[in-house]
Formats: sequence, C-alpha cells, structure tokens
Amino acid sequence: MTEANVAAAKSEGGAVPENWKPHIVALVCNWCSYAGADMAGTTRLEYPANLRMMRFPCTGRMSPLMILRAFEQGADGVLVSGCHPGDCHYVQGNLVARRRFTIFRSLMDFIGIDLKRLHFAWVSAAEGHKWAKVVNDVTASVQEAGPLPSFAHPEGWEGIELPEMAGSGPQELDAGQLDAIRTNLRKAASEILTTERAGVVIGYGSGSLPNHTHPILITEIADCAKLEWDQGCRNNLGAYVGSALEKHKRVAVVAKTCDLGAISGLIREGQLRRDQLLVIGVQCPGVHDGSGLATKCLSCSGDPHPICDLVVTVEGVQESCEDPSAAALDTPDARDEQIAFLESLPHEERWKYWQRQFGRCLRCYACRAACPLCYCSTCISDKHRPQWVPTSIDHRGNSTWNIIRAVHLAGRCSGCDECARVCPADIRLDLINRKLSLEVKRQYGAIGLDPAEKSALVDFRMEDAEEFIL
Amino acid sequence: MDSSWKLTDAQLREWLSTLLDGNSVVAPIEEDGVLLFRPIASEEQAVVKPSGKTRWSPKEFLFPRSEALYRYDFKGEAVQLEDPPLPDEHQVLFGVRSCDASGIVRLDEIFLSGTKDRLYAARRENTTVVSAACAAADVECFCTAVGYSPVGEEGSDVQLVPLGEDWMLRVLTDKGRELVGDAGDGWTAATAKDGNRIAEQEKSVAGQIERSPVNREWSKVLEEGFEHGAWDRLAQHCLGCSVCAYVCPSCSCFDMNHEANAWCGEQCRSWDACTFPLFTHHASGHNPRETKQERYRQRVLHKFAFREKDDEPFRCVGCGRCVAQCPAGLDIVNTVAAAVEAIREEGADAAR
Repeated sequence: MTEANVAAAKSEGGAVPENWKPHIVALVCNWCSYAGADMAGTTRLEYPANLRMMRFPCTGRMSPLMILRAFEQGADGVLVSGCHPGDCHYVQGNLVARRRFTIFRSLMDFIGIDLKRLHFAWVSAAEGHKWAKVVNDVTASVQEAGPLPSFAHPEGWEGIELPEMAGSGPQELDAGQLDAIRTNLRKAASEILTTERAGVVIGYGSGSLPNHTHPILITEIADCAKLEWDQGCRNNLGAYVGSALEKHKRVAVVAKTCDLGAISGLIREGQLRRDQLLVIGVQCPGVHDGSGLATKCLSCSGDPHPICDLVVTVEGVQESCEDPSAAALDTPDARDEQIAFLESLPHEERWKYWQRQFGRCLRCYACRAACPLCYCSTCISDKHRPQWVPTSIDHRGNSTWNIIRAVHLAGRCSGCDECARVCPADIRLDLINRKLSLEVKRQYGAIGLDPAEKSALVDFRMEDAEEFIL
Repeated sequence: MDSSWKLTDAQLREWLSTLLDGNSVVAPIEEDGVLLFRPIASEEQAVVKPSGKTRWSPKEFLFPRSEALYRYDFKGEAVQLEDPPLPDEHQVLFGVRSCDASGIVRLDEIFLSGTKDRLYAARRENTTVVSAACAAADVECFCTAVGYSPVGEEGSDVQLVPLGEDWMLRVLTDKGRELVGDAGDGWTAATAKDGNRIAEQEKSVAGQIERSPVNREWSKVLEEGFEHGAWDRLAQHCLGCSVCAYVCPSCSCFDMNHEANAWCGEQCRSWDACTFPLFTHHASGHNPRETKQERYRQRVLHKFAFREKDDEPFRCVGCGRCVAQCPAGLDIVNTVAAAVEAIREEGADAAR
C-alpha cells in the first residue's frame, strides 16, 4: 500500500487515475470501535475495503504523531474512532483526546490538509451499523478529496504575499532612558547577589555584533556591570533557568513581559517552584529582529508585568507583589490578519506555502533549543525505537517535525516567538503557534500568567465542543 | 589559465542563461525573504550581487542534507537491494562566495582524501564552481582573520570579481575553461588595470573586517588547554542546537539513519552535528561528550586545532554565519581568543 501511494504522491500534478481508490488508515480503540467494527462484520454489513485498521487501547493513547505518520507514509485519509464520551474504558481517555484532536485538526487544516481527509468518530461496540456508515462516509469523503498532495517543494510556485503587520510597539525609550534602566538593572542585580536573594542573575551581556547581546549568567557582584539593556535583548532567558537551578538554590532572571508566559508555564508544569525564582521585570523598548521591531512587540506596551518580583523602570527598582491571578496577557496580535488571510486561501495554496517553508528546515533544532517550554530530556524527534519523526532532512521529516513541535506546545506556548526568531530558515513558526493559541482560546479559554492554572490540553470538560466528531 | 574578461551585468546574465542549457544551475535566490541556493529555472531568479551571502552555504549540493546510500524492498521471501544511481547531471554552483568555495575544498579533504566517498565524488566530479568575490564585508564576516580572503581563488573554477557595475570573469581551472567554452569570444578582455583591482578590493574589504587575526600558534595552546576550566564559562550559554554546524560551509559531520516501513526502506546519511548529545551517545548509554560545553569545545577545536601540519588551513573559513545566527550569541572567534588568553594566564591545567 505504501509504495503505491508514495509513487502516486510523487507523480502529483498528473491527473488522478479514473479508478483511483483512496488509502485510509483507521486508528480505533480496542474497547468500542474495534468491537463495533467486529459487530459490523458479524452482522455481515458491507462497507468499502479501502481502510486499514490499527487497534489502540484507547483514543487517549493516540498521539497526533500516529496520524502524521499515516499521512507521511502515504495515507490519503485518516479515521480516528473510539468510545463515546462517558464510555471510556479508562474513564477519561477519550475526553482528553477530544481536546487534542480538536486542536490538531485545526492545525492540519491550517497547514493545508483538506479536512475531508481527517475524520473522528465515536463508535460503540454495539454500533456495527454506525461503523459501516462512518466507513462509507469517510471513504466517500477521502475519495472526493483525491490523492494526498505531495510532500515536496512546490516547483514554479510564485508564493504569496501575506498582509503587512502593523502596530505602534512599546513607548520609545531614548538613549538616556535606556542608560537609566541599565543602571537600575545593574543596581538591582548587585543588590540581589549582595543580599544573596539569588545565587545567580541571568541577564544579557553585550554581543560581538552590533545590536546583538548574548545571555550571561552572573555570580560575581563585579560582573553586574556587564548587564545590558537595549533592543538587542532578544533571548527568552527562561530557557536557562532549569540548568542554572542545578547549581544554585535560587535563580534571578531578567525578563521582558513576553518572556513571562513561558516562565509561568515552567512553574505550572512543575519544572521549578515559584520560590526558586526571582523574576526581574524590566521596562522594554521592544526588541529588534533583523531590520525592525519584532512582530511580537508591535502590540506590546513594554511595561513590566506585576507578576515579577522586582520591577526595573527608568525611575528605579520596585518590589512588586500584585496578585498574579488577576494578570492576563491578552493583547491583540499583528499576526491575526496574516492567519485570517492564509485561512482564506484554498487548501492547495496553504499546503504549498507550508511545504516551501518546511522544505527549508535544516533540522538544526534551534527552535527546540531556544524554547523554554521544550524541556524534555529526550525529544520525540531523537527517539528511534519507535521512530515517529523521520530523521531524514526532507519534506516528509521536516513536515512531521514542525507540526509535532507545534502540537506539543499547543495550549502551552506563550508566544515569546523565540522559535521563529532563531530559525535560520525563517519558517513562520510564530504563525503556527499563534494559530494554535487562538484555537485553544476559542475552544477552552485563554491561559494567563497564573501558574496555578491548568494547561488546556491536559484538562477537559464533559461538555467540550465536538461538532466535528461523527 | 589567465583568461579573464570584463563583462557587464547583462552579459553575465546572458552567460548564466546559456549555462542553463545542459547544466543544473544552482544559484542564490530569494525565497520568502531568505537568500539561499537553489537550482534555478531561469537566470532572472538568480540574485548575484557584489556582496552579501546566502543564509547557509551551498554545501548541500555536494553533501545533501539527507541522501539514500542504499534501498531495500521485500519481494515475497527475498530482499531486493538497490544502490541509488550515481548523480550524473552536471551542476554549476553559481555566485558562490569565496569563503564558501574554500568551504568546498575543506569538504573535499574530508570526503575525497583516503577512501573516496563515491556519492560525494560523483557529485564533485560533475560540479563546476563559479565563485563571486566580495566587494564588501557583512558585519559578521571575518575571513581575513582566519587566513582566507574575500577574493580567494581556492575552490573556484571560474571567479567573478565585482568591478563596480561590471564583473571581471576569470577562468581558473580546466573545468572553468570548459564551462566558458567559446563564450569568451564575444567578451572584452580584461585589462591589467582591471586585474590590479582584485588586490585593491581585497585590501578594502579586509579593512572593513575589524577582527584581530586568529594566530596559527593558538592551535597548540587550545589543544594543551583542552581540559581548561574556561570552556565551562565560555559555552555556558550555548543552547545545544546545531545552527552553527548546519549553516557552516565546512562542517561535514553526518549520521546514518534508517527510514523504513514494513515493505521497504532506505539507509540514509543525514547531516548531524557535534553539538548534539546524540552525536556521540554510545549504545551503552555512555557519552564521551556529556556536556554542551564539551560539545561546543569540540566544534571550536575542530575548526582551529587538531591540525596535522602547521601550514594546514583552519577549517573555519570565516563566513561568520555561525556568529550571526547563533541563537545565544556565541562568537567562535571571541571564544578562541578568550580560551587562549585564559589558558595562557591560568596555565593549561587550571581546574574546570
């Protein structure tokens, strides 16, 4: 099956053969849908034979990786089926899975997979007739969608212009004001080290290229004079907190408002405790990326956030102890218009857009390295038994990697844009992340900065929307 | 081999378009705002300018990011093995910067010395390099600090030297002569004055590079101070990705990987980097380069130390891409200088 379909995918561009039949992979749970399919068989119901079933213990065990693997190996469509909500053999597996599928489905749509190819159904052990109907409907739907578009560089494709992003950005700070902030920051840092409030201050030191900085870990009071503050302070220093905690009991970290979501996420996910951290929020002039103000800054005020322990502004250094639960980062985003524009295009165009982007991926994993929330000790892409993400640096492997990276951050990503900033190939990872966070917000409400909140995708409600599930 | 001509930009483009006949021409193009090398379909796509470089080097056209070494297929009981066909299409790498052309020679040293790598050798044999010397340095450039030149000829079959609006085209090898063929009949021969401008240009670009040179004697110092504690400090903010290695014109490390399903599969060679922990991770679980500092040191030393002969060139060609693109702002030249200083001041054995 695979070879034939890979060959078909390769010859994309040619006409679909008249007698073309789709290949569909079905992921079914053992307790309901597999038994339902069995029921259809014993009832001697007829349905198309284009579908190959794989049995899982539960829909909760079905990772988007497995769906991606099916597409990457040449399936034209995928059906995921399990127990009705409330009937899960493991009580809530399908409820958590439902949220995951909802978000994953919206991403697949966004990158150009026609949703006629991706279906979800609840089929119980008693519903042999429903199973037969689902398979009939799904097969017809995938037949209509045609062969999966190829994972390849869209040769000769002109490309598309996304709408310009607009926004005023933070209040401009002149050189004198930046100097004042820098002085205050150095003072705050040396105070922290003197009073031993933290063993190390993670901040920015001046870089070797103009308008560049690099992260520095300061343990000596004298070195506090190396702390910089300007539009070149790009890194999200939250990425260094974990390793710094291996050597120090308490870590002070310089943070822009856009960095806080990730730091909060680390606490939320049990990677560190709030009391191990001293967050120094600094008034931000916005960061420059390439030629101008970074996208994330366009609609940001630059003001330090109240969840910081210390707040450094032009005026001075203040202790800050406002209630973090009142805090939310809910700003409009300059990217939303670009996302809406992409979504207005036909699937084929979107597929080409993302295939060209993913094709450039070098798999350097800078996106992963720069992300504070990518903290797994072994990344799924480094696992080879079984190997879900192809190691080969080609369109298939790159697509799987870029999609799964985003999925693993869905409901967690706080939009600091580090992944997109560090990408040497300028893949618009920020658009993907933003798309997913919009979808999470639309479905399950926004996640703020309160570390006590639960990430949307590890949570569920019985009444979660499921209008797309057959 | 002293054929050289002076061409207008239009003449150069015309020649480029004739190259498309019978060759796969790989040239810098702009894709979604990123300048990168790709096979071009028409000469209008090519972005050939007096200065500026692509986001990463053209090494992938000789040493692909991933390539199959053999394929297999289960046919009933039997397994069918298949070698992928040797690349036989002639390709022209056009508009390659001098640093990148030197990078190709550094790759040749890896893949063609001793046992030749058959896939690389076949590609290399079928490749002609048309380099473009630089009229200006980018902020990150430091070729002159590591013994290379903005107008270097190494690795080039044909060299283009920007002369204001025009170009001087110089044939440097037989391969280059063959590529130019009789196209030169319609071109104006370059004058001695044009030729002199190469040295002038070298001087002026070198003047834009403010880096202090990496001293050849430092190689030994770096090796002696292998265990020096400075490495711990210098690379503590390294994030452990491989941007540096993948954008580098001379990094040549790879890994073997297997892409397969139940029916068929292939054994592949894919880019890998010494900055990744998996690169040296043994099957036993032991990793001789356990920390990111050790891994970063490996990369730096492989560029500037571990040389068999004193007159061997550095394996860093000074393109500066790793400096410009490092997510954590690590700077290989500064690192080398700082390590050498620390080793000399504190002694090679200063504790980690």
